[in-house]
Parts: sequence; C-alpha cells; structure tokens
Amino acid sequence: MPVVKLYANLRKLAGTKELSLAGQTVGMVVRGLVEQHPSIKDVVLEGSELRPHIIITLNGHNVTDLNISVSEQDVVAIFPPIAGG
Amino acid sequence: MNGWSGKILDIDLSTKTYKTYPLDMEMARMFIGGRGLGARLLWDLVGPGIDPLSPENVLIFTNGPLTGTGYQTSNRFSITTKSPLTGTVLDANSGGFWGMQFKKAGYDVMIVRGKSERPVWIEIKNEVITFHDASELWGMRVFALTEKLGQNNNKRNVLCIGPAGENLSRIAAIMNDRERAAARGGPGAVMGSKNLKAIVVEGKERTTINDPEKFKFLLYETRKLLAASPLTSQALPEFGTVVLMNIMNNIGALATRNHQQTQFEGAEAISGEELTEKYLVKNAACWACPIGCTRISKTEKVEAEGPEFESTWAFGAQCGIDDLPAIIEVNALCNDLGLDTISAGSTIACAMELSEKGYLDSDLRFGRADQLAPTVEAMAYRKDIGAELSDGSLRLATKYGHPELSMSAKGMEMPAYDPRGLQGQGLLYATSNRGGCHMRGNMIGLEVLGLPKLIDRFQVQGKSAFVILNQNSNAAIDSLVICKFTNMGVADEYFARVLGAVTGIQYATGELIKTGERVWNLERLYNNREGFTAKDDSLPPRLLTEAPTDGPSKGWVSQLEPMLKEYYRTRGWDQNGVPTLKKLADLGLANLVQE
Repeated sequence: MPVVKLYANLRKLAGTKELSLAGQTVGMVVRGLVEQHPSIKDVVLEGSELRPHIIITLNGHNVTDLNISVSEQDVVAIFPPIAGG
Repeated sequence: MNGWSGKILDIDLSTKTYKTYPLDMEMARMFIGGRGLGARLLWDLVGPGIDPLSPENVLIFTNGPLTGTGYQTSNRFSITTKSPLTGTVLDANSGGFWGMQFKKAGYDVMIVRGKSERPVWIEIKNEVITFHDASELWGMRVFALTEKLGQNNNKRNVLCIGPAGENLSRIAAIMNDRERAAARGGPGAVMGSKNLKAIVVEGKERTTINDPEKFKFLLYETRKLLAASPLTSQALPEFGTVVLMNIMNNIGALATRNHQQTQFEGAEAISGEELTEKYLVKNAACWACPIGCTRISKTEKVEAEGPEFESTWAFGAQCGIDDLPAIIEVNALCNDLGLDTISAGSTIACAMELSEKGYLDSDLRFGRADQLAPTVEAMAYRKDIGAELSDGSLRLATKYGHPELSMSAKGMEMPAYDPRGLQGQGLLYATSNRGGCHMRGNMIGLEVLGLPKLIDRFQVQGKSAFVILNQNSNAAIDSLVICKFTNMGVADEYFARVLGAVTGIQYATGELIKTGERVWNLERLYNNREGFTAKDDSLPPRLLTEAPTDGPSKGWVSQLEPMLKEYYRTRGWDQNGVPTLKKLADLGLANLVQE
C-alpha cells in the first residue's frame, strides 16, 4: 500500500506521522485518510475538494490532479497550509 | 505632514557633529521609505569605487511612512550601505521595536558618516543627540550590552554590534532589541569600521495620519484578513518558519552538505515539528504584529529567540548536522556575537568541503555538531581557523584555489532552497541586487507552496515574468517598510490604500509595484556603476553542471542562461543587463544617468 506522510498540525490531529493506506489514486488515498481520521477532514477538504493551500506531493512532486494513479511503492506527503522563509 | 516625519538626521562621526534638514518630499513620494529611500540616498552619497570599510561609506537608517502608526507589522526599519561582502548596494532590514522607536524620535532617515577616532555610542532622545565614549563597551557581546544600555521594548531600544562587527567580519550583522538582526551582507562590519558600538533611541512623537477614520477601518480589515488566512493565523504562529524544512526536503530542494546533495537524511530531526514538540517555550512577536512567528526555544544550555528556517538549515543540512539543540545554541551564539547565521553556516559548510577534499588543512568535517560553536566563536574574533572564515565563503574558497566551492551569488551565501529543483529561485538568486538572497524575492510560494497559485518548479520558459513581479513586489514592501509575511494575508494593492490613508497621497493601482520596479532598477544602476555586469548574474558552477543523482530533482541543473536572456528582455534591459534609457525614463530615473 502507498505510504502517507503527514506534516505539521496534521500529525497531532491524526496522532501519527505516517501510515499506509489503500487506494489507486491520490484522491482515493486522501479520502481513505479522512475516513480513518475524521479530525483531519475539515483541515484538508472542503466538501470533496482540497482546501486552498493544502499541499500534496507524490514522491516529492506536487500533485494538482487528485485522479493521478498511485502504486504500492509510492509516497504521498500531505502538508497543511505552511509558510516561512 | 502625515506619515513621514519629514526630517533627516545627518551625523558625522569624524567630527562628532550632527545636523537635521527636511526630507525631500518628491524623493519620498517616488521611493516611499526604507529600502527605496535608502537606495536613492546611497546613489548620491557613496560614489563608485569607495571602499565599504572606509570612512567614506555611510550607514543609512530609514523607516517608512507606515512605521509606528500601529498598522500591522509597522515596526521594521532598513539599513542601507555599500556591502563589504559583495561590493554591491546593500539593504538589510530588521523587525522588533527599534524601528518604531526611531520613528518616534522624529526622523525618517539617519545618515551616519565618517569614523570616530575612539569607540563611541550614540543616544537619541528626539532632538537631543549625545555622543558617549564606548571604550569600556568595546568588546562586549550583544546580549549583555543591550541590557547594560537599558533596553526597554516600548520605551528605549538598543541597536548595536558585537565582537564580529568590531573585528570587521564581512558577514557581521547589526543587532537590535537583543536578538533581531539586520544581518546579510556585512552591515555590522561597516558600523565597526566607524568605531560605532551602539545607537540607543527614545522617542515621544506620534506619526500623524491623514485620514484617521479610514485608517482605523483598514486596520480592522487587515486584522480580519490576517485572521482569516491559515498562513498568518495558524501556520506561522504554530510552527514558525522552520516548518519549511520537511517540505523542502520532501521535494528534493534542500541544499545539503554545501549543495552536494538536495536531500538531507536528518531533516526530520531539525524540522519545525521537532522544534515545536521538544524545544519551544513560547511564541513572541515584534511590535504591532498579530502573527507572532518568533520562537523562544530552550535547550540545556540556552533559552533564546529562534532559530528561523534559514539559520536551522545553514548549521543543519548545509553542514550535514542533525543535532537541533546544537543548532539552537549556535544560532543564539551568532546573535550574541553579531554574525549573519546564513553566511556563517554556509561558510563553515564550505570549509568542511574544502577540508574533506584536502584543500584546507583543518579538522572541520560534515556532521560534526561539536565544531559549530567553537568555529563561530573563532570567526567573530578572527582567531585560528576562524580568521580564514570570517569574511565569508567566497574569500575563503578563493584563497585556497577553489572559488567554485563557495555556494554564493555575487559573493553572498545563498539560502536553503537549491536552485536545481527550483528554476525560478535560481534566476532570483542570480539577479538579486545584494547577492544570493531569498528576501529580494522568493519563488517558494509559487514553485512549492501554491501561494497564490502553484506553477511548475522545473519550467524555464516564462519564469522570468514571475520572478520580476516577485522582486518588484518585495522592493515595494521593503520600502513601506513592513513584514513580508503580512503579504500572505493582504494583497500588494491593499497596502497602497493604507499608504494613501496615512499620507494623503493617493497611489494609483499598480503605482506601488511600479515604485518597487523603480527601486529595483536604481539598485541595478548602482551595481552597474560599481562595475557589475551580466557576468555577475550567475550561480556556482555546481548548480549549473552537477545534477543530483537521486531524489525528486534528479537529473536537473539550473537552466540559468535562457532564463537570464528572457529576464533582461522582460525587464526592459539590454542584453548586457543594463537598464535602457527608455525604461529609466518610464521610471523617472533617466536623470541619474544623464547627470
């Protein structure tokens, strides 16, 4: 199963830094995540869409299309809105 | 007069005299304040070929028309000078409280010229300026000196140099309010070269506002905008700037071991999440700032401000070190000694690579956290190996025959973002007027964080327009002078409304950004006058030729050349990177080259 890595306040909300979740697309993995950890849902999703400024990467590449396919060895990273410099 | 105080304080340290005179209001309208006004004054005051560490160089302290009004983050000030690190125009700005107090003292600008025969410190209480002997203070570190001179955040504020500035380290910072720094480019060395140890300000004047009712409404609206943004209301206060560590590592753009790699296996251990969980004591904020991104961190040895992302990276990933307490401690040490953390960390990383490759006879090695504090201490005092590192990585690497191992642009050490995985950021470093810097513009928002919209970080064609917009916007904000983080919740053009309410001068849509463009072009003209050419708009060879062998940026190098050509064209400059007369005329700058 793809590995999902969580960052910043998503860790506290989910109670974990990392988990494995089934899913054939990034969108399915994200939906699986919020089902397993409902406390994250309002931070990540607005209805069925990603909230503004939520960042998702697939193997280190930004994802803008939730329909993109994922495979067993993939790493999906999810960041809440972050900033700095 | 509203917004501006309308007064310049002009100090000559050689004669211990001062005078005051009115601010040229046409100049103020064109350049606003802060960085812009500083650059315009520097153009007249420091001509080509002046040694930055000679009495002929000046320090220009500027605030802006919003400073001290209570508008969100209106606490900042700028220091403009000719950089002893790069030889370029330099503006370094800082937050805290000193800038607000300086405005309350009744001045928009303070020019410091000449050189005192003996160490001196200056006390400013509105119109009363006193020169004090600083012989007994010379040698003191920043924290003790700040306390001794009576720092009191809202009443009396101390700006000073530490031992690094006294010893003319070209990467020395000017510190204010104990732990805030105008750090980059070596302004602390300029202050040290003048034998000026500190400037203490107390003020009583209030900035007058043209339309108080409108201003009050804009304050209220800005508060709402900042509270509504998850960036300024949650991300920055909760995790501080170090939260960027993990994402930069995740995407393969975290410069590691002197840019030999683009991912650091120890990133998690030095991340914002780790800092918050294990070492954060509380948050703090600059004057009139509702964001409060400052961290107060504690280890067994210190309790101090910071560290920020760039400092954590410089002593962390760049040196191959994953020991967060050691990084917190060396960050505090840099503040106490008055050293720029980015340049200090990256210079140590350069020395580590030179040593590991046998070019420099030292025991410095990547991963050795125990070497950080002693090396920084030695740099500030120019002792032992520190004497070699005290003037930055380019001078060090050049001395040992390998200038290509300095990870700098125009001689200033670059920050954390590796340009091979961030094409726009590379163009930004190469064209930055003060050298390798992320504060002249920052493409991370667009290329990584999706702020305001995500663009392809590997894309080359068309990137220059985004970089230029970013640079112009940053120059405008630096001229106001407010914190760039405010811009994450409030759009550029909104600031024009605030400026109008405060000063009574209405800035049309686009005029604020055009002011930024004017400032950028003036800085470019200054550098051109100093002999800088298109050849200097470059990056270290490693970033242009050595592609990462793994990670998400695998196979990429910076595609600088095509981006530069496009950049010059889009800027309205000729192919040698010189602003055309047409562009200068459009910006009201043609008279500067026709004099």
